[in-house]
Amino acid sequence: MNQDLKITDFYQSEYEKQRGNLAGSELGWLKVQREQAIKNFSENGFPSPREEEWRYTNVRPIERKQFTSVADITSTVDEALLRGHRLESADSLVFIDGQFSAERSDLPQLPEGAVVKNMADALASHSELLEAKLGRALHDESHGFLDFNSAFFSDGLFIYLPKNSALSKPLQLLFVSTKQDVAQLSTIRNLLVIEEGASVELIETWVGEAGHCYLNAAVTEVLAGENSSIKMTKLQAESNKSYHFGGTYVKQAKHSIFNHQSFSFGGALVRNDLHTGLRTAADVTLDGLFLVGGRQHVDNHTRISHTQPHATSREQYKGILSDKARGVFQGRVIVQEGAQKTNSEMNNHNLLLSDNAEIDAKPQLEIYADDVKCAHGVTVGQLDDESIFFLQSRGIDSERAKNMLTFAFANEQVEKIELADLKLLVQEQLLKQFPQEGIEKEWL
Amino acid sequence: MSASSENINELIGEKYKDGFVTELETDSFPPGLDEQIVRALSAKKNDPEFMTEWRLDGYKQWLTMDNPDWAQLSIEPIDYQAISYYSAPKSLEDGPKSLDEVDPQLLETYKKLGIPLGEQERLAGVAVDAVFDSVSVATTFKDKLSEVGVIFCPISEALRDHPELVKKYLGTVVPQGDNFFAALNSAVFTDGSFVYIPKGVRCPMELSTYFRINASNTGQFERTLIIADEGSYVSYLEGCTAPMRDENQLHAAVVELVAMEGAEIKYSTVQNWYPGDENGVGGIYNFVTKRGECRGANSKISWTQVETGSAITWKYPSCVLLGDNSVGEFYSVAVTNNYQQADTGSKMIHIGKNSKSTIIAKGISAGKSQSSYRGLVKVAKSAENARNYTQCDSLLMGDKCGAHTFPYVEVKQPSAQIEHEASTSKISEDQLFFCLQRGLSADDAVSMIVNGFCKEVFKELPMEFAVEAQALLGISLEGSVG
Repeated sequence: MNQDLKITDFYQSEYEKQRGNLAGSELGWLKVQREQAIKNFSENGFPSPREEEWRYTNVRPIERKQFTSVADITSTVDEALLRGHRLESADSLVFIDGQFSAERSDLPQLPEGAVVKNMADALASHSELLEAKLGRALHDESHGFLDFNSAFFSDGLFIYLPKNSALSKPLQLLFVSTKQDVAQLSTIRNLLVIEEGASVELIETWVGEAGHCYLNAAVTEVLAGENSSIKMTKLQAESNKSYHFGGTYVKQAKHSIFNHQSFSFGGALVRNDLHTGLRTAADVTLDGLFLVGGRQHVDNHTRISHTQPHATSREQYKGILSDKARGVFQGRVIVQEGAQKTNSEMNNHNLLLSDNAEIDAKPQLEIYADDVKCAHGVTVGQLDDESIFFLQSRGIDSERAKNMLTFAFANEQVEKIELADLKLLVQEQLLKQFPQEGIEKEWL
Repeated sequence: MSASSENINELIGEKYKDGFVTELETDSFPPGLDEQIVRALSAKKNDPEFMTEWRLDGYKQWLTMDNPDWAQLSIEPIDYQAISYYSAPKSLEDGPKSLDEVDPQLLETYKKLGIPLGEQERLAGVAVDAVFDSVSVATTFKDKLSEVGVIFCPISEALRDHPELVKKYLGTVVPQGDNFFAALNSAVFTDGSFVYIPKGVRCPMELSTYFRINASNTGQFERTLIIADEGSYVSYLEGCTAPMRDENQLHAAVVELVAMEGAEIKYSTVQNWYPGDENGVGGIYNFVTKRGECRGANSKISWTQVETGSAITWKYPSCVLLGDNSVGEFYSVAVTNNYQQADTGSKMIHIGKNSKSTIIAKGISAGKSQSSYRGLVKVAKSAENARNYTQCDSLLMGDKCGAHTFPYVEVKQPSAQIEHEASTSKISEDQLFFCLQRGLSADDAVSMIVNGFCKEVFKELPMEFAVEAQALLGISLEGSVG
């Protein structure tokens, strides 16, 4: 208990130190929001495993450290790391340790009336729009990380796409954490306001200097207008000593389409929150893959709330756990009263590859309407002996056969990516998880 | 096995038929709970010394606990000081020696409920222990059972005649401090059944306990303990009813099952406590802790339940699969109508190698009711090759009801194979059309589909219970079918 008090006190004093320098510090409305958030955080701290939503994820390791924001970012960036993750086919915004780096970014050509900016600048130029929209996709949620982010966020992406507009290329967000003398903190806040009929494709890429310890606490809000179409991919390949919280909160208007793919490979302790609320005939597809080993802990937490009739949701998450890794999947589907003709399907399949790995799965259905079709399924198992035997009978040794099958299990999710160079990038990340003989790039 | 749909239609339109009150002089404790009450109760039951201490231990633990609030239920706060913790018909004060001495009014009650207490009018040879409010009224076929060494008696009698057996097993599966209601039960339990099946014995008949709440302002706190020693087999049935009252009455029972090596226990419940009226007034709060331990290798515990009654059900029959190759099963149909709420499911804890479990849960929600499946499948590191299959399906009837599924899967053993499936839907237009097209009326069609939906569970019930269960299904869905 004492420890808790200390850590909230520490961040309270950090907040007071930084108050004047935070993005948009001159804006009154933002200041009110930040003050409220730090107050909530001081009272409640980080979430505890006693909370049902955090039952399988203990964030104690994050509480034990004191993460600080760093101001000077120029000297230590590993340009090769950055290059290795950059997509040819996309425009980009690059953030180094939570700060926007204009010279490394490739800003897109904008259709009329559209805004694509880093958050800190957008707060200066589009304060009114942000005041009206920021925090509106959060579904009245509150927990420690949300408050933490709202109090401290330093920068991020702001997109405004007016009616029926689209960006000519996909947009990549590159979040890079560098090697610092201290364990650094990056607090990113993204906001996407996509008006009626507009469409966008966004790729979040999270990378960090190998072996370095840092914390990313990011929140992304998406307001999807009627008939809009949004595609997002999140590739998380952080340092294996780092901590990552990434919350994505979406509000979908009538007939909007939201596609999200999540790939989690890195991080010591990772928690992904993904919540969406669907209005009439909206459509959502969530796909995910988490592949972790060592002592990694990755928690995927999704919530789909059907608030109006005729909406459709599909979800498939796959987990592969080796060594002493622990995976958590919680998928919650809520069908509210009156949300008739809902169609919802959720699947979670997990492979446990070692004696010390653990998976905790918790799919949930909460249904308050009768004319619905909802199903979910969970499996935990191992590779099929017959398939291994089949490969062995063709002269492939068992180690190699297992690798091939595991790769195929994971690759099903990667194959869903449409953008060619993104698919290649994710596949490369995936292959890094197979250091053994067996999978060769040429097979792809 | 198929009660025809005509039968069901006859039953639709019938009200809760067991809601009558038997006028009896009773011996009751004043409402309230403190250490004195626990001691007085213990004295009343002529408990051996260790039992009094055991109860007080439970009471002390209860004091430190809070009402659980994690279930998907809205429960009016319960005033535990407003409940009388002991109520027994006066005529039983001296303890009748045989069935002939039992108050005829009591016998009449059971006759009305269709429970055979007279051994001559036996129903397919079922031995019955009848529990009325806080005490056991009569236990049939005791002599016949004792011939093969089976002990079947009220737990208070077991405490008198076989204290060493009770002491050895009581609280080893559900300890006093297990949860709020189990702790309360440990302090104030009044009666219940005790079953001991000796090594290698196959119990020659079905054993059954029939629970009846009659007095008002009381709760029923019974405790059942079943021990199946090595290589034995027993099938046990449990039924329950209560009068219609406007108040909510609390039923907080604990059931403990112990299966030794190679033993098998089959436990079936048809729960038909008074569910409250169509406006949600009254009804029983059914907060029950049921758990079985497969202690020995190759043992098996099977729970089958048909839950149609109670205003609120909070119940998770569980199996701890300690023995290698042990098997746990859970089959459940939970029907809720009007303002009923049910949060029920099962826990399967795999510890032994090659342990297997199956969960089949069917929920039917109608009216403004809410029904939830909540389950846990946990595979410990030691449970190599553990296997679980879980299926929970919900059927929705009406747009004001809710059906929820909260499964938890925790696996620490890579060779385990776990499957979980859940689906929620209403009766599809296609299915209905298919039946109508073949000349069935809409009512018949719905009855048939509902029965088909539950069939997998009903086929696990002993014959007499299966018939009763199907009949109950019809009553519970009254007004929502068709």
